[in-house]
Amino acid sequence: MVLGWSEKDDHALLALIQDGSHDAFAVLVQRHTERFYRLAYRYVHNRETAEDIAQDAFLKLWEAPGRWQPERSSKFTTWFYRIVVNLCLDWQKKKRPLALDEELPLADERKTPETAMIRTQEQQVLEHEIAALPERQRMALNLCFAEGLSNQEAAEVIGVRLKALQSLIMRAKATLKERMKAYL
Amino acid sequence: MSNTRDQREQKLEAMLQARRFEPASPDLTERIIRKAQHIPQNQTISLSQWVRGLFAEFHLPRPAYVLVSTLIFGFVVGFTIPQYTITADDTDSISVQSFLYADEDVL
Repeated sequence: MVLGWSEKDDHALLALIQDGSHDAFAVLVQRHTERFYRLAYRYVHNRETAEDIAQDAFLKLWEAPGRWQPERSSKFTTWFYRIVVNLCLDWQKKKRPLALDEELPLADERKTPETAMIRTQEQQVLEHEIAALPERQRMALNLCFAEGLSNQEAAEVIGVRLKALQSLIMRAKATLKERMKAYL
Repeated sequence: MSNTRDQREQKLEAMLQARRFEPASPDLTERIIRKAQHIPQNQTISLSQWVRGLFAEFHLPRPAYVLVSTLIFGFVVGFTIPQYTITADDTDSISVQSFLYADEDVL
């Protein structure tokens, strides 16, 4: 791999990918796979499916790099989050109802088994309640809390104004607070 | 009362930020890179390339192109050149001639 490529920013790498550079693609994949996999996982709650979605998203980018038009999107990640979210929604439409993985490891293994069990139960209930939220509220929560995107970035990904995003988050939190009353 | 609400809100936010998460397979990145090696890129093509591709798709022999082109050319020429129309004078002359030659011999 060409020395110094990892210092290139996403836009420079994408320009090289549009010229057919496998090396640039490799750098971009290494840089971002984890975060897009994590986002997919928030939707599908299954490792294999989340990996497939992340892989599909990157391979679509490789196949048709012309879809990325820097003049239309401010940031590569914002644009690509939208692609991953759309793939997740497509998957959910085909695979409803959502099945949460019961075999996941405990959140914090240092705690006593009893505490850990309560924590796991809390998390499972939370995941079920999040899955039951309207699509856009769920999307807003995933992007802002799980992925740590700023409200402005999340608004761009979902395609709404900042005020609308804040309202989505507020409603989602109000619903969750009500439904999770027993655990709060 | 509002203090309790704040505490609930804080706990909810903490729970949202600490949602469980199963890490991806360590070879996921490599898998994606390896798969891309075997996938050709779709380049944006110009209209002339598209037309060429279309003809290549149908595998028509060259004489067929010539025939189709000639037919199209013929139709275009046929429709663009003004048609010969019979005027009133022409009709009269035809009538007179046919009258004169009606019995084979000029009257």
